[in-house]
Amino acid sequence: MRKIYLLGFCCLFFLQMALAQQSAVKLISANLQQATIAQFVSDIESKSSYHFFYDVTQFDSLKITLQVVDKPIETVLDMAFKNTGFNYSIADNAVFLTKGRALRADLAVGYTTITSAQPAQTNTVVDYTDDKDKKVPDATTENKLYEIGTRTNSIKEGKALLSGYIRNIKSGEAVVGASIYVASTKTGVASDAFGYFTLSLPRGRHTLNIRGLGMKDTRRQIILYSDGKLNIELQEQVNSLKEVKISADKVANVRSVELGVTRMDIKNIKQIPTAFGEADVLKVVLTLPGVTSVGEATTGFNVRGGAADENLILLDGSTIYNPAHFFGFFAAFNPDIVKDIELYKSSIPEKFGGRLSSVLDITNREGNKKIFTGSAGIGLLTSRLNVEGPIIKNKTSFIFGGRTTYSDWLLHLLPEAYKHSSASFYDLNLDITHQINDKNNLYLSSYLSKDKFKLNSDTAYSYSNKSLILKWKHNFNNKLYSVISGGTDNYQYDINSTDNPINAFDLAFHINQSTFKTDFTYYVSNKHTLSFGVNSILYHIDPGTFEPDGVKSLVLPQVVAREQALESAIYLGDKYDITPELTISAGIRYNIYNYLGAQTIDRYAPNLPRQPVNVLDSTSYAGGKVINTYAAPDFRISARYILNDNLSVKAGYNTLHQYIHLLSNSTSISPTDIYKLSDPNIKPEHGDQISLGFFKNAAANTIEMSVEVYYKRLRDYLDYRSGAVLLLNQHIEQDVINTQGKAYGAEFLIKKTAGKLNGWISYTYSRTFLRQDDPNAGEFINEGKYYPANYDKPNSFNFTGNYRFTHRYSVSLDIAYSTGRPITLPIAKYDYAGSERVFYSDRNAYRIPDYFRSDFSINIEGNHRVHQLTHNSWSIGVYNLTGRQNAYSTFFTEQSGVISGYKLSIFASPIPYINYNIRF
Amino acid sequence: MKTWSVIIWMIILFAGCRKVYNPAPIKTNYNYLVVEGTINNGDTTFINLSRTVTLSGQTRLSPELNAAVTVENDQSTGYTLTETKKGIYFLAGVTLDVNRKYRLRIKTINNQEYLSDFVAVTNSPPIDSISYAIESNGIQVYANTHDPKNNTRYYRWAYNETWQIHSIFDSFFKSNGDTVLFRDLVNDDIYTCWQTDTSSTIILGSSAKLTNDVIYQNPVTFVPSTSVKLVTGYSILVKQYAITGDAYTFWGNLKKNTEQLGSVFDALPTQINGNIHCISNPSLPVIGYINAGSVTTKRILIHNRNLPAWLPPPILYDLSDSCGYVACLYKYVAPGSGITVNQVDQLINYNKGAKYPLIPIDVIKPPGAPAPIGYTAAFPICVDCTLRGTNKMPPYWKY
Repeated sequence: MRKIYLLGFCCLFFLQMALAQQSAVKLISANLQQATIAQFVSDIESKSSYHFFYDVTQFDSLKITLQVVDKPIETVLDMAFKNTGFNYSIADNAVFLTKGRALRADLAVGYTTITSAQPAQTNTVVDYTDDKDKKVPDATTENKLYEIGTRTNSIKEGKALLSGYIRNIKSGEAVVGASIYVASTKTGVASDAFGYFTLSLPRGRHTLNIRGLGMKDTRRQIILYSDGKLNIELQEQVNSLKEVKISADKVANVRSVELGVTRMDIKNIKQIPTAFGEADVLKVVLTLPGVTSVGEATTGFNVRGGAADENLILLDGSTIYNPAHFFGFFAAFNPDIVKDIELYKSSIPEKFGGRLSSVLDITNREGNKKIFTGSAGIGLLTSRLNVEGPIIKNKTSFIFGGRTTYSDWLLHLLPEAYKHSSASFYDLNLDITHQINDKNNLYLSSYLSKDKFKLNSDTAYSYSNKSLILKWKHNFNNKLYSVISGGTDNYQYDINSTDNPINAFDLAFHINQSTFKTDFTYYVSNKHTLSFGVNSILYHIDPGTFEPDGVKSLVLPQVVAREQALESAIYLGDKYDITPELTISAGIRYNIYNYLGAQTIDRYAPNLPRQPVNVLDSTSYAGGKVINTYAAPDFRISARYILNDNLSVKAGYNTLHQYIHLLSNSTSISPTDIYKLSDPNIKPEHGDQISLGFFKNAAANTIEMSVEVYYKRLRDYLDYRSGAVLLLNQHIEQDVINTQGKAYGAEFLIKKTAGKLNGWISYTYSRTFLRQDDPNAGEFINEGKYYPANYDKPNSFNFTGNYRFTHRYSVSLDIAYSTGRPITLPIAKYDYAGSERVFYSDRNAYRIPDYFRSDFSINIEGNHRVHQLTHNSWSIGVYNLTGRQNAYSTFFTEQSGVISGYKLSIFASPIPYINYNIRF
Repeated sequence: MKTWSVIIWMIILFAGCRKVYNPAPIKTNYNYLVVEGTINNGDTTFINLSRTVTLSGQTRLSPELNAAVTVENDQSTGYTLTETKKGIYFLAGVTLDVNRKYRLRIKTINNQEYLSDFVAVTNSPPIDSISYAIESNGIQVYANTHDPKNNTRYYRWAYNETWQIHSIFDSFFKSNGDTVLFRDLVNDDIYTCWQTDTSSTIILGSSAKLTNDVIYQNPVTFVPSTSVKLVTGYSILVKQYAITGDAYTFWGNLKKNTEQLGSVFDALPTQINGNIHCISNPSLPVIGYINAGSVTTKRILIHNRNLPAWLPPPILYDLSDSCGYVACLYKYVAPGSGITVNQVDQLINYNKGAKYPLIPIDVIKPPGAPAPIGYTAAFPICVDCTLRGTNKMPPYWKY
C-alpha cells in the first residue's frame, strides 16, 4: 500500500504536467498471450504516452490475454482487467492500477463546493452507507475523504449522526477517552470506556480532529450524507517520553460539563518518581489538587476532606477493598496492565454510588488483537511480566500480568531482631476481550492480589483481593447501547499465631460482594444524551472468626455473625445541551438498601447512650429476611456555561450515600481494619457537595488553568469511643459514635500539556472539620466542638514537571509541600504505675512540622526503531532528593521510666532507585 | 497491634528514622489531680495523690498534701486514711465485705471534692507460678495463674525486682573522720549489696477469650543477658491484681497512650476516662482508677549458675568507665615545690580537711617499709554499694 501512496504523490507532478500538455486521444493496438503485468505495461507504454503506476506484488498472479486493434486506452484496460478484480483510473497520461478499489483521479466531491451540480461519478467509489450487511470501514488515513451514509448528489439540510469505535491500529484495543473535535461547529465528544463515540453534526464536509491518550493526534475528513458509522484507528505514539499530559482532551478542560474530574494515562504515571521506582497509580493521585493523605506509606487517600474509606476504587468495574501491598508502600495495581485512571472528586456520574467522596476508576488495557507481545520489568524490590496477544486474530485477545516481590533480601540485611522476618506479595491480572460481532462484545477481567508477612514473632499475617467480572456490551443501534455486567469481589485477611500453644489462634475476616449492573446510554438527539440503569450489590461479610489453632489451645471459638445486605440503585441522567454555550447534566440515583438476616439485632432505649444497660430487647431474624431498609435519592447536577472559546464556568451539586463503613481507629488504614454494613443501629453515611469552577485555556490550548471551590458536608461519619474494640466485637454499635463533618476549599491548577517542558502546578487551600456532639454518645470529643480531621492540611502545593531533551532522554521533577497534619499532643505529665506518663490535649489541637519532598528521575528510552526484537528503557531516580526528615508522626513514650518525645520519619534519606523495562 | 509497630520499625531501619523531638513547650500548668492505688482487702492500702506537672518542667512529682481521704462502702461505713509520706495516704489492713461496693472520697486542701465510682471487691486468685524462659539474649519472666471459678478474667501485674550488686573496688579500710582504720567486713561490708527496683510498665492479661479462666505464660518482664541484674542472682516479686473489665480498658488505654505509640498503625491517643470525678467541678479531668480487692504475690530467685554463659556476658560493673583509684600518701612532696602534704588527711579524713572525701581501699606499704605510707582510695560511688542499694541481705536471698 505504501508504494501506492508514494506513487500517488509522485503522480501529482505528472498531473500538473499532463494538464499543460493537452494531449489528444490516442488509439492502441495490442496482442498478448498469458502476459505478465510487466509485459502488458511495457507494451502499452511503448505504444502510447501513458505511464502506468501500480504495486507489482498485487499483480504477480495476473496473466493477461488480449487482442485489440485501435481502441482507446479505456477499452483496452476494460478488456484486460475484466472480471479480475483489478481496477484502473486514468489521469491524463498517468494510469493507476489498483486491486479492489479504484483510485479516484479527479478532485473529491465537495473539494471546491459542496453543492456541486455535476452528476455523480459512476465509477467505483466506495460507498460507506449504513447498510447493515456492510463491514464498517476502518478509517486509517488522514488525507482520504470518507463518505458517511447513503450518498446523495446534493447535501441535504439538517444534522446526521456519526458513530463508531476508536481503536489502536497496532493492537486493535479500544481507545478510551479519545476526543473528537469538529472545529467548524465547535462540537466535540469523547469516546467511552469501550472506545465508542456518537456525534451529531450538520450534514456535509467536516474535518474531525482526534486526540487520544498516548496516541498520535490525527484528523479524518468526512462527508456526512446521512447517519452512519466510521471506525477510526489511531497510531500509537512510539516515543513515550513526549510529554506529561493529564487530560486526553485539550479542549475538555473548558468544554466538558464535569468539574473535578482528572484522567491520566499510565505513560504519565510512569514518569513520576516514586520511592522504589515502581510506577504507582495511587501516588500519582496524591499529586492532584484536593487529594491528601495522612502520610507516606499509607494505604488510604483523602479526597476533599473525605475519609479514606469514602473512595470507591474500581479496577475495570471490580471494587478493590485493599488497594495496596506491603502496608501501603506499593499500589496493588500492575503498571504494565493499567491503561489509565480517572478520578472523580466532584461530578460523580449517576452510574457510580455507594461512597461519599470520590470514585477512582482504573482501566486495564485490552490485549493486543493482532500480535503477541509482552514486557518485563526489573526493580529493586519487584519484578513484573506481562504477555498479551490474540486468541482469535482481530476478535479475541488476552492480556496477562504478574508481579511479585523479592524483598526478603532486604529484610535479611536488618539487625538480628528483624532478620528472620519475611514479607511477600504478588498480583495477577488476566483479562480476555472477545468481539462476538459488530454489535456485541464480551469483556472478562480477573484480578488476584495477595500479601503475606511473618515477623520474628510467630504471628503470620496475610490479606488478599480477588475479583472476577464479565461485561457484555451490546449496541442496539447507533443511538443506544448497553453494558451488562456481573461479578464478584472478595477481600479477606487472616492472622494466626502458634507460639504460645495455650493462646494459639487463627483470626479471619472476609468480605464478598456480588455485583450486577446494567448501564444504558441513549443518544436521543444532538441535545440530549440519556444514561440509565440498575445496579445491585449483595454483600456478605464475616466480620471475624477467632478460632483455636492446635489441640492444646484453650482459645474460645468466637464468631461474629455474618452480615448480609443488598444495596440497589436505579438511576437516570441526562446531558442536555440547551445552547452551544450552556450544557446541563442532571441525574438522580435512587438507592435502596436492605439489611438482611440471619441476624440478631439489639434495640436500644431512645435518647440514651447505646450501652449494654440500655438494651430494650433483642430480636432474631431468619436468613434472608429484610431487617430494615434505608431508601434515599442522590442528586447529581452539573452545568457549564462557555463565556468564550477559552473560558468557561461550571457549577455542580451532588449528594451521596454510603452503606459500608471501614472501622479503623488508627491514623491510617491498617490491614486489620474491618468493614461494617449499615444496620438498624448504624445509619448510612450521607454527604453532599456544592462546587463552582472557572476553566481557561491559553496558548492554543497548551496551557490549562482552573480554579475550583467547594463546600462539603458529611453526616453520620463513624468515630469511636475511647478504647473501642473494633475486632470481634459482637455489639459494635456500642463502640461507635456518629460524627458530623464539613470541608471546604479552593483548588488552583495550571497545566502545560505540550512542548519540551510540561507538567502541572497545583495549590490547594482546604479545611476539614469534624464534630461529635451527639448527647446519646455518652461522651463528647473536644467538648462537642469542631476539630480538624487527621488529614486536614490547609495549604498544599504540588509541582510535577517533565523536561524532554530528546525523544530518548527526559528528566522529571516532583515537588510537594503541605502543612503538617494535626496531632494530639501531650500537655502535662504525671507519675503513674512506676513511670512518668503523659496527659493528652484535646484531639488534634496541634500539628506536626510542615511536609516537603522533592523527587527527581531520569528516563532513558532505548532507540526508537519500531521494528526491533525488544524495546528497552531505564528509569533512574532519587526519591526525597533533599533527604528531609518529614515527620510522619510525633509521639511521647516512656523509656526507662522517663517520658521522651520522638519524631517518626519514613523515607528520611534520599532513596535512589533504578528500574529496567523491556518490551517484546 | 504491637506487631505492626515492629514491621514498621523494620522498614524505618531501612528507609526511615526516629528522632528525639521536643515541640515548643506547652507552658500552662494544668495541675490535674492524679489518684493511684488499690483499696486492699486484708492488707495495707496505699493511695498516692499527686498533681500533673508541665511536660518541660524539671519537677517530676508534685504530691498532693494534706488531703482528707476516706474509703466508704455503699452503706457509708467510712475509713479514714492518714498521710505517711508526702502525698502517700495509708490505711492499715481492713477486711472488705465482698458483697459490698467501695469508693474513695478525697477532699483536697483547696476545697475541691473528688469521688470515685463504687467498685466491687475483686480478689485475686493465687499466682500458680512465676516461670522464666532462657532466650538467646536474656530471660523472659512469665506469670501463670487460673481462677477455678472462671470469675476473674482480667488481671494486672506489677513487680519488685532485686539483684545483687558489687562495688568496683573492695574496701578493707574505713575513715572515722580523723584516721583510717580497718573496716568491719562482717557488719560494714560495702562491697556486696542488693538493689531493688519496681515495674515501670503496665502489665495486663485477660482470659476473656478463653473457655477457662487460665493465664498461661503472660509476659511480665524481660531481663537482657547483658544486664547487671544477672551477674549473681535475680529475684522478682510479682504482685497480681484482679481487676474489672472496665479497669482493664482503663489500663489498656493508659498503656496504649503512653507505652505503645509511635508506629504507623497505632491507635490515636484516646481520652483516659478513669473512675474518679471531681464533684465540685465535673468538667475537670481526674486521672486514675480505683480498684478494691486482695492482691496475691509470688517471688522467685534465679541464680546465675542456672543461666547460660551468654556472649557478651552481663556487664559486671555498670560504673567501671567513670571509676579509678588514686594513691593518697601521708608525706607527699609535690615535684619542684619542696612542700610536704598529707594527702590522707586532705582527701580521705573528712574531719581533717577532706571536702569531698574518698573512701580508702587498701594500704600502701612498700616491702620493707615499717608502716603504711598511705592508702589507695576512690570516689564513694565506686566503693560504697550502699549508695545504690542495701548491704543487708534480704531474707529471701537463699539459694
